[in-house]
Amino acid sequence: MLELGEVIVNCADVSVFYGDTRAINNISIDIEKQSITAFIGPSGCGKSTFLRTINRMNDTIDSCRIEGRVKVDGEDIYAPSVDVVPLRAKVGMVFQKPNPFPKSIYENVAYGPKIHGLSNNKNHLDEIVEKALTRAGLWAEVKDRLHDSGTGLSGGQQQRLCIARTIAVEPQIILMDEPCSALDPIATSKIEALMSELSAEYTIIIVTHSMQQAARVSKRTAFFHLGDLIEYDSTDTIFTNPKEQKTEDYITGRFG
Amino acid sequence: MPSTKTEQMVMASLKARHRKEQSFKLLGIAAIIMALFFLVTLMTSILSKGLPGFFQYYVTLEVELERERLDPAGDLSDQSLFDGQAKKIIQEAVLAKTGAKKRNEKKAARKLVSNGSDLRLISFVQANPELLNSRQSVKFALDDDADSYFRGFVKKQTPEKQRRLSDLQIAYLDQMQADGLVSYEISDYLFFGSASRNAEMAGIKGAAIGSLLTLVVCFVIAFPIGVATAVYLEEFAPKNKITELIEININNLAAVPSVVFGILGLAIFINIFGMPRSIPLVGGMVLALMTLPTIIISSRAAIKAVPPSIRDGALGVGASKVQATMHHVVPLAIPGMLTGTIIGMAQALGETAPLLMIGMVAFIVDIPGGVTDPGTVLPVQIFMWADFAERMFIQKTSSAIIILLLFLIVMNGGAIWLRKKLERRW
Repeated sequence: MLELGEVIVNCADVSVFYGDTRAINNISIDIEKQSITAFIGPSGCGKSTFLRTINRMNDTIDSCRIEGRVKVDGEDIYAPSVDVVPLRAKVGMVFQKPNPFPKSIYENVAYGPKIHGLSNNKNHLDEIVEKALTRAGLWAEVKDRLHDSGTGLSGGQQQRLCIARTIAVEPQIILMDEPCSALDPIATSKIEALMSELSAEYTIIIVTHSMQQAARVSKRTAFFHLGDLIEYDSTDTIFTNPKEQKTEDYITGRFG
Repeated sequence: MPSTKTEQMVMASLKARHRKEQSFKLLGIAAIIMALFFLVTLMTSILSKGLPGFFQYYVTLEVELERERLDPAGDLSDQSLFDGQAKKIIQEAVLAKTGAKKRNEKKAARKLVSNGSDLRLISFVQANPELLNSRQSVKFALDDDADSYFRGFVKKQTPEKQRRLSDLQIAYLDQMQADGLVSYEISDYLFFGSASRNAEMAGIKGAAIGSLLTLVVCFVIAFPIGVATAVYLEEFAPKNKITELIEININNLAAVPSVVFGILGLAIFINIFGMPRSIPLVGGMVLALMTLPTIIISSRAAIKAVPPSIRDGALGVGASKVQATMHHVVPLAIPGMLTGTIIGMAQALGETAPLLMIGMVAFIVDIPGGVTDPGTVLPVQIFMWADFAERMFIQKTSSAIIILLLFLIVMNGGAIWLRKKLERRW
């Protein structure tokens, strides 16, 4: 059985429906704090959908309905009293396609702190921006052109800018939905190195299509198939000694 | 040389394909040529008729600016000047110039100078009071019949009974021209005059200001309501039967004939709310109703065109729905919204029918000073002028059409400039 340290996300019997279609079947999973957990599985297996239940991004889809219980930091995030704004400040998200705002690099990073009122003066905001960009490994590259448009950066830089934008709000958890699928191998390796560094402070959950990536960066791996959680274990176990036949078939490339 | 069987078949079919492409291309070119031909014909017709309308004939007369006669009260006030004998002084100047002595000669000569010349003399005196009690050369507009004579529309060969000028009047005009008193200049009446039954004095200033006021009202009402509706329907409204019904109705309203909005305005704004007729405020409200569907539809399209990833990005850092919409979606959609708005406003600028319904077709000489003063608008002015019989109104109508087109070009130019300025790439 999988030994976990302190648990930050606790899901019990979570099912997600789009209209009448069931996308996720009764998934229960615990995510360890300050480590990297990877969700792998073939396309359409529900791993992205499940990731998006953790910060309630599925709320934006009208037909989407969720059953079961998701607790972040011990708090049921689907309780009626929960406001999604502080939840999403606590559980940040990086998307598949780099999506910086069509504004300056500075404003991209400063946007979150601004709307949450994390800073009340310009100097402090400058510090937050510098710190976030530094931690995202982008400061050296952009410090002379902070007021250029964020969309003018290369794809890998844009994705690191999106990570900086997320960590500027000081979240506890960062959800990454295939963050490297639109990037070249060099940019990918930079992001992977960054994830490893960030995992000292943040809990990272990453959805990935690349099994190599999951094997390289994550400590735990969960394998999803057709809306079911097939197997969840330490990454080493999943890739060397999976218990389920389906997992083995997938990681050895027999399907998917 | 084609070797395989497939290649041979492909080669054989190529000829027919090329022929089809060629004929399709020719069809397109023919359509464009036809459209250009009509455009050129239209522009030539408007410009050839309208450009002369920007000019008119003036006559320079020497007038005796006697203070006692012009300004009986001696205070240069409007009242005093109107009580004075400006008209008489001008007539005396005409008689002196033409040498008319007999009663019928005097009558013929007096008719040659525009009816409104006394106002011109009064404003000349008000502008230059130091010239009182001296003899000055002042330029007056010729009457529209005299103007038509110089333009060649009234011909000497026509029998006297069938033309609007007598032989005597033509002789006087020839004499004035021989003396070098007649000049052909840019018509200040056209730009600074207001509605008038005297063709030589009629101008578009009142209508242009009426149009401007009406459009301002229309914009102030239609833009915020239209954008707010579009934002709500696109970003916040639940997708259900009611919103679907609203959507269908908005789309249908865009195709409703404009005169129907005029009848609606007449029934609601004027009959039920008891607002006055002929005012730019009601005109603007009616045009706003007409423009709203256009603005809503184009604004929704602009909002739809904003990539969802931008919304996700904002929501992902914890922006609320309103923040994501106001900080990110609307700024990106603004250029598209403005384009739709300008198209709607341009449509409103050219609209006549709904304004006829609310009485903006009235003959109003005063220039409206605000949205509650009676006024008219450019297209209605054009409509009215096109109805008048005097020869000179034909040119004035075409000139007014040119000015209306210039208005449109300026508005569209402004829209393109704004869009370029606000557009952001992502």
